[in-house]
Amino acid sequence: MSTFFHILWFKNLMFWKVSSKKDFGTVIRNLGSFIVFGSFAVGAFYFSNFITAYLLENVKIGLFLFHRFIGMLLFVFFITINLGNMVVSFSTLYRSPEMNFLLTSPVSYLNIFVIKFLDNFFYSSGTLFMVGFSVLLGYGFYFHLPWHFYLVMMFGVLVPFMFLAACVAVIVLLLVMKLASKINFRLLASGIVLLYMCQIYFYFKVSSPVHLVQEVMKYYPNVDLYFGMLDPLAIKVLPNFWVSEIMYFYVTKNFTSVLQYTSLLILSTAGLFVIGLAVANGIFYSTWITSLSIKSLTVRSLELKNTFFSFGKRSYFSSQTEVLLKKELWQFLREPSQWIHFLVMMALLIVFLASVSSLSIKLESPELKAVVYLIVFIFNIFLINSIALRFGFPMISLEGNAYWSVRSAPIAPSTMYWIKFSIVTIFLTVLSIVIAWLSNIPYLYAQKVFNQFPIPPSLVEPHTSIKILGYYSIVVTPIITATLVSINVGLGSVYSNFIEKNPIRIASSQGATMTFLLSVVYLVIILAVYYLPTTMMFVSASKNSSVNWSILKIVFLVITVPSIFIIIISHVLGIRSLRRDY
Amino acid sequence: MIELKNLKKTFGSFVAVDNVSLSIPSGEFFGFLGPNGAGKTTTIKMMTGLFTPTSGQIVINGFDVVKQPLEAKSTFGYIPDHPYLYDRLTGREFIYYMGGLYKMEKNDLKENVERVIDLLELASWVDKKTEDYSQGMRQRVTFASAFVHKPKTIIIDEPMVGLDPRSARIVKDSLKRQANDGASIFMSTHILEMAEELCDRIGIINKSKIIFLDTRENLHLHKTKYDGNLESVFLELTKEEKDQ
Repeated sequence: MSTFFHILWFKNLMFWKVSSKKDFGTVIRNLGSFIVFGSFAVGAFYFSNFITAYLLENVKIGLFLFHRFIGMLLFVFFITINLGNMVVSFSTLYRSPEMNFLLTSPVSYLNIFVIKFLDNFFYSSGTLFMVGFSVLLGYGFYFHLPWHFYLVMMFGVLVPFMFLAACVAVIVLLLVMKLASKINFRLLASGIVLLYMCQIYFYFKVSSPVHLVQEVMKYYPNVDLYFGMLDPLAIKVLPNFWVSEIMYFYVTKNFTSVLQYTSLLILSTAGLFVIGLAVANGIFYSTWITSLSIKSLTVRSLELKNTFFSFGKRSYFSSQTEVLLKKELWQFLREPSQWIHFLVMMALLIVFLASVSSLSIKLESPELKAVVYLIVFIFNIFLINSIALRFGFPMISLEGNAYWSVRSAPIAPSTMYWIKFSIVTIFLTVLSIVIAWLSNIPYLYAQKVFNQFPIPPSLVEPHTSIKILGYYSIVVTPIITATLVSINVGLGSVYSNFIEKNPIRIASSQGATMTFLLSVVYLVIILAVYYLPTTMMFVSASKNSSVNWSILKIVFLVITVPSIFIIIISHVLGIRSLRRDY
Repeated sequence: MIELKNLKKTFGSFVAVDNVSLSIPSGEFFGFLGPNGAGKTTTIKMMTGLFTPTSGQIVINGFDVVKQPLEAKSTFGYIPDHPYLYDRLTGREFIYYMGGLYKMEKNDLKENVERVIDLLELASWVDKKTEDYSQGMRQRVTFASAFVHKPKTIIIDEPMVGLDPRSARIVKDSLKRQANDGASIFMSTHILEMAEELCDRIGIINKSKIIFLDTRENLHLHKTKYDGNLESVFLELTKEEKDQ
């Protein structure tokens, strides 16, 4: 045990030595981080407070539905943390050079596992704790909740909830790695992706948010009542449900239920952690040995010799562009932590799009319709931002120690920068248009409306205002995408770290967190601006009035002009950073 | 041809390279010696565009490295002290990659890739990924990538790090061949025997300043003042500087 604390102590020391440097540059950077983190925390507080007030007072969805929506968001949050931890754990437990060193030292495998697991968890969760606490503050202030709410929610709910997700992730990873000695690793990885897709699909199928809204709204205006009988049994065993129940019962002052659900969550987390330790104790070292052979397994079949993509072949691109493109392609395809994470994200995206493109919500209130539309709109953008952060931000850093080859060659660093930027931008712009189009299908094309038997279903065309809103979103989304990619690639260059080889750790570094927060601030502003045309169009559709085009034009300018400004600033900073001493 | 004029590099208050001036004509093999932390690598990083000089000028083959970086870089090849490569590429792919960055023509590149693979005897393992290479193998690939575009000047930082005797011989022979073909070579090294064997002229840097600059022939005269070997000259020169 003393070895365990000895290592933790030095890791801690290392962290503080780095973060407490007193040179001018570090002080300015830390001050900048403090301002951004602080502003974001304040922003998250106000945003959460505003959304709570808006949904309960303006849209009047009631306490029960409000907390069920929180539960659904928490499910997505849980899966995100879970998958994130799984991929990061793969890199830190099986790919980190530190493991080679630790495994040669007289420290037990279990201790090494726990150190790396905790390192992993706290490294990637710090910002989430801060955001979570700010959101809780905004929520708690709205309901005038007592001081102990924040303590219980933070240490009794949020931390165990996230830790539970991390425990599940690492157990699944250990089992996958165990199976990898017998089954092809890529087949296993695909199986896991499929499993998570099914999980998300069935969650929303079983929880059926549309049905829930319709059922609860039958009791309007008594929608603050508890409608627990509408919750399917399968949903009740999930930790996100417990958290939403804790919040609901805190607001309704049912402290017995708060205690029951909190205990259930903490005990489940502790249980999962113990199971995780037992599994690790049994198989961690053997899976680490297995992981050494996975490298060759995953790479061999990704060769594309003597094809257009091999270095010996030439195309119509200039020789510099061509080799840079090919290098990016091969580095991506031959790095399992890149393409596995990419596949997982794409799979989640497909599930989301499949659900959204067939979404048919029968709501009366135009404001509520606008809220649903905005949620889907911002979720699309958020997905794009997540991909830009994960794959765009680390692009410059991934040059790694081999960056000397570009810097000493007759090529302007900006050429390399633009090529990297173009790869991410082209891909994400196309993707964003597809996402925007698919998620707007219910608003663009005639929808089948089922009538009472025996009258056959009829096709109902959306109102012109709604169609215009749909096309408007499809036009606006790529502009926002280009801005987000610029922020991520540009600041990825500013915060480049050529020492770190792991793209996931680069994408969860302090610089990446700052970038993420800045992107979120941009997204919140976009959301605030987009609120106006969205509600206007839904109100116009409900009143059958004409569209106010001047508002649409103004909103377009309000989004486009600052976006162009942000794009330019990001690139200037990014390219200037590439000229620093290497 | 390489010309360094009053070159200076500071990091905060620390002066890493102080007023260094050198002129290396075409075809000369120049050895750059000095103890650890003397300023060798900083000088080389400024010459190759990895660092920006605080003041002074670097002209390589007629091009100012700061003002005309692309023109200057297209005339030299660089071999760094740590041969970091892209782990996911093979050695051959890395050489192609470097050739592409130097805008080599398709057929010319293919021919030259084969030439440097032969020259440095890489054929048996060059199609494996570089992540599986030893230090010496990586070093040889960086040599190949520096030679592939037939540079007029070669800048090398510690060429023998991690090389086994056979690899060291291959590298030395290849450098001799480049020098015989007319390339000027600027090589920093810790291995005094190698400098003595290969270099036409030797410069010694200590505490950021050039403290010795002379031809190999004159160096022999210096050696006779001591016990007849370069190591003693080197130790004495750097010691004197230390005592001051």
